[in-house]
Amino acid sequence: MSVLEPKTSFHRIFLPTLAWTIAIIFFFPIFWMVLTSFKTDADAVKPEYLFIFQPTLENYMNMTENYDYWRFAKNSIITSVFATAFTLFVGIPSAYAMAFNPSRHTKDILMWMLSTKMLPAAAVLYPMTFLTKNFLGVFDTHFLVIIVLSLINLPIVIWMLFTYFKEIPKEIIEAGKMDGVNTWGEIKDILLPLAWGGVASTALLCFIFCWNEAYWTVRLTTTEAATLSKLIEGNRAPEGLFFGRLSAVSAAAVGPIVVLGWFCQKQLVRGLTFGAVK
Amino acid sequence: MGNRTLPRLLQTPAVLLLLAWMLVPLSMTLFFSFIRYVLNNLRKPEWTTPSIDNWRGWGNYEYVLYKAKDFWFAVENSLIIVGSIIVFTVVLGLAIAVLINRTFPGRGIVRVLLISPFFIMPAVNAVLWINMILDPVLGLNGLAIGGINNMVASLANAPLVGWFFALWPVIEPISFRGTETSAIAVIIMVTWQWTPFAVLIFMTSMQSEDQQQKEAAILDGASTWSQFCNLTLPHLARPIAIVVMIQAIFHLSLYAEIEIVSRGNGNKNLPYLIGEFASNNIGAASATGILAVILANIVAIFLLRIVGKNLMD
Repeated sequence: MSVLEPKTSFHRIFLPTLAWTIAIIFFFPIFWMVLTSFKTDADAVKPEYLFIFQPTLENYMNMTENYDYWRFAKNSIITSVFATAFTLFVGIPSAYAMAFNPSRHTKDILMWMLSTKMLPAAAVLYPMTFLTKNFLGVFDTHFLVIIVLSLINLPIVIWMLFTYFKEIPKEIIEAGKMDGVNTWGEIKDILLPLAWGGVASTALLCFIFCWNEAYWTVRLTTTEAATLSKLIEGNRAPEGLFFGRLSAVSAAAVGPIVVLGWFCQKQLVRGLTFGAVK
Repeated sequence: MGNRTLPRLLQTPAVLLLLAWMLVPLSMTLFFSFIRYVLNNLRKPEWTTPSIDNWRGWGNYEYVLYKAKDFWFAVENSLIIVGSIIVFTVVLGLAIAVLINRTFPGRGIVRVLLISPFFIMPAVNAVLWINMILDPVLGLNGLAIGGINNMVASLANAPLVGWFFALWPVIEPISFRGTETSAIAVIIMVTWQWTPFAVLIFMTSMQSEDQQQKEAAILDGASTWSQFCNLTLPHLARPIAIVVMIQAIFHLSLYAEIEIVSRGNGNKNLPYLIGEFASNNIGAASATGILAVILANIVAIFLLRIVGKNLMD
């Protein structure tokens, strides 16, 4: 460790200060949003109240009245929770099959699954609208949003689970088989307890992706199943009149997810790079 | 083989779901791209429903590629936006990762602060930047420039140095709502959001760097810069490639930011152009969609090759 830790003041003082400065600059827009959310709409655009002002909770109190926040938040919660659950329900057996009973085609199947993630969503926008509106009648329903969110996250979830499952020694699963445990028992009693951490962080990441999704949730909903993405997108240009209240509703929309993200930053890398960087 | 059949069957639901998700809408897009299909057409009502009788062959593609004035602009703009974001995030990401890949007081908090922008939902990112921060009058941009102008104006009345400040011009804040400037705004906000992603991945990879090799290099008197170029950078080649390609794929389908920042001001990328076509000319929207798929696939092939390299071992 000795040579790797130079003890010049450049390394002890200047570099940490620089790191702190950069971190603060990156966090500043979020800080600014939260700060603005405690200003009244009038104060938010006055230069004399940039940092010193009379803080108020009124923007948060009036969120329901101004934006119907909870209706959208409820839709975001329902769709993200059920989509995550459904994705795991389909993804766990699939990743189990590929990790412990691979065939010649497993790699190709995994690659193909990932390639579905790379289709530009816009290319199938009209067929999706057409199918769901005219044909299936599920446009603007929770059901549709849940299914679409599940499908777009399924490849990432299977890949993540696959990389976690592969770290479990095959012998443990084989031993279970010798003892006469059936496939369902293998998954439920042997695999899941062992891979609990991996499954949990996969679920968390899937939930974050569902919550932040901003293409299909905006294009395939109008009112009934509209999520927070749609709410914010609908208030894109407040012309400076409502910076305070808009900041409050934005902060409320991203707050829970940013905090969740802090807890899973280590596992995030694997999920974001499809297991290529661990 | 027998006792492996059931476990293997467990992957079929996922495969079938994804197959349907990919094939059904995509083959519809492919079909629509070869027919005349226009939602509002009073003179030719038969074109308003999809039918094989309205076969147009390559006509939609010819229209999009040669006649529609926005296609090449959208392609160029997509590539400029994606390219700039990638260059900025990789350079910034490398610099920041090197900087915080050491122990110093409060490193954990620095990490938390740095990673936060990545979790902001795209709609909030765009609304926050374009209004509260970049707005030329009421945003931080306008307020700060106004503050500087006021300060200069009051200093101009000061004794002794007043003449110097009187020479200063009044600064005009940049508006980020024009065609080109709003593309810059999009680049700024997405770079802000995705630099943490690059930092996180580079930092994770740097932790697996060979420390002994590094110690040897230091003992041999290698400078920090040559250590970085000859040891760290080659070690990071694969993560860099992954960061570049994942971002290429994500940002080629950038939508919410463009929609919020640039609606109606002429700045558009491919997904936005498809959205515009899709309000009426479905044939052209579908042809553009197929071209976008081809563009994305060129990138995807390289990414899949890299990701798949060490997959099965």
